[in-house]
Amino acid sequence: MKYADMAVPSRALHLWRYTPWARIHPSKVDEVPQANGVRFNALEGGELVEGAPRIIDADDISRVFLSELGGSAWTFETNGASDIVHLQAVASGHVAVGHLHVSLNHDVTVVLHLSGESDWTGLHVTGEVAPNVRAGFGLVNELSSNGKYLHCEDWRIDRDARLELAGLSIGGFRCKSDIRTRFTAPGGELTQAISVHGTGQRHIDHHIEVHHDVPHTNSALSIHAACDDQTHSIATGLLSISKGANHCDAGQVFKNLLLSDKARAEAIPELEVLADEVAAAHGAASAPVDMNQLHYLMSRGLDEESAVALLIEGFMQDGFSSLSTKNLVDEMRTRLTVHLECELKR
Amino acid sequence: MADEILRVEDLHVSVEDTPILNGMTLTIHRGEIHVVMGRNGAGKSTLASVIMGHPAYEITKGTIHYMGTNIEEMSVFERARAGMFLSFQYPAVIPGVQVGTFLKKSVQSVRDEPLKGRAFRKELNAAMTALDMPKTVLSRYVNDGFSGGEKKRLEILQMLLLKPNLALLDETDSGLDIDALRIVAKGINSVAPQAGCLIITHYQRLLDHVQPHFVHVMIGGVIAQTGGPELALKLEKDGYEWLEATTEA
Repeated sequence: MKYADMAVPSRALHLWRYTPWARIHPSKVDEVPQANGVRFNALEGGELVEGAPRIIDADDISRVFLSELGGSAWTFETNGASDIVHLQAVASGHVAVGHLHVSLNHDVTVVLHLSGESDWTGLHVTGEVAPNVRAGFGLVNELSSNGKYLHCEDWRIDRDARLELAGLSIGGFRCKSDIRTRFTAPGGELTQAISVHGTGQRHIDHHIEVHHDVPHTNSALSIHAACDDQTHSIATGLLSISKGANHCDAGQVFKNLLLSDKARAEAIPELEVLADEVAAAHGAASAPVDMNQLHYLMSRGLDEESAVALLIEGFMQDGFSSLSTKNLVDEMRTRLTVHLECELKR
Repeated sequence: MADEILRVEDLHVSVEDTPILNGMTLTIHRGEIHVVMGRNGAGKSTLASVIMGHPAYEITKGTIHYMGTNIEEMSVFERARAGMFLSFQYPAVIPGVQVGTFLKKSVQSVRDEPLKGRAFRKELNAAMTALDMPKTVLSRYVNDGFSGGEKKRLEILQMLLLKPNLALLDETDSGLDIDALRIVAKGINSVAPQAGCLIITHYQRLLDHVQPHFVHVMIGGVIAQTGGPELALKLEKDGYEWLEATTEA
């Protein structure tokens, strides 16, 4: 289907309730503006090859729109020479769009650092994890604080493969992320961890789908959002387990730390379970700073501002605790620490 | 005469309009170890919390002087920086904050001079060795997944590093096995000569390792009796009923 033939999605839909299409589109909804290409570089540990955008879901308006915008398209294929690969994506101009396809054929961690001053940035990452591979992929969103950001990811996990997905959202003014993972063969595992820091008037919307189409697959998702000032964080999840996909174990946990009276957070996990012999769980919690924790830190000499800053850092660092790939965790935590050192008074 | 560290006079304290302390009076000098015993609900933990400045407690009458200064208006972090320390009965769990980071920030906050990395590491290693704590603790999150004994050792580790003038220890001996109790007592004894210590406990067994100068028994939010270590032995043997009967009479 072409973008011009698609209807603007209704706000009644789960996916579009909090960030309607018109609010994330770069101009008027019937336009497909000219787009610059996001510049991709392999900073360390691998090579990028130019390619064509891949459409995973031709019925999804975000993916079709990003495809029609064009921009740049690159493929990264691991070669086994390095344990960790750093990729850089830089967005510039009014509208910038990039497509990246990642083939994870070896045990490796890939970290994509996204930055730039573009007014509107579109990023579509597609990826596949080969059988029996243990891989990690991290995306650090460090875009400038006044742009819009539309981000889609689509992952396929093959037999007995394990993928750890990490996200750190600290950039962009209005952000919509839609990350979907599908298991294509039994034995796969997904651990997904996202930490969000909301300051000013950031609007950060994450939609996460995990599809267990085959049996004996496991997934765990955790999202930690620290919301300050007038930020609005939204996390919607869809965890589906298909009929016959028995012996799956899947869970979603959304946690929000509310740091001001005007900060808002929505956490909406959703399960669609059609198989009988599975374990599926979800949970959500939103709360202000814990007074006992604050008192404890202050009783050790930290003033209130420093104590709250440490609690925010701890909350966000804890978002990556479920990951076991050390170099992925170290990288995400380092980026987070650097960000917080700039944002919060030490 | 030794330095006066703490003077509590006719202290009345309420929580949400419920009176807990009803005229508490106590003076602690440097080098003294005071033990406070009493039934659950007698006000022991409230006493420690209000001295440390917990915002949930309201002082309705009386004063607290620390090193000669009325501290009613001081916030909890100012009290900590002035040299007051509370070992919590139930220390807070703080996921995501590593013990090493927490200790460094805490010590940095309390000491006036900038922290020197190598010297601090040396001091930290010595304190952890004394408390028989593995170095792996430093990379764990504060009290997250800790056993009761590990939490109490971490409290004592903080006390050793912060070097307080006043150490308030709220049931620090609860949940400790015999070896851990001995190690924790060693930590208390190393701080006690330079500080005033107030130890809240239910059990005499800690006093086999820590020699108190005074034992106080709290009943109904006041000190009902003060004695020496023999009072703790009598309480262990006879309970509180004889004392409550005397107080009522």
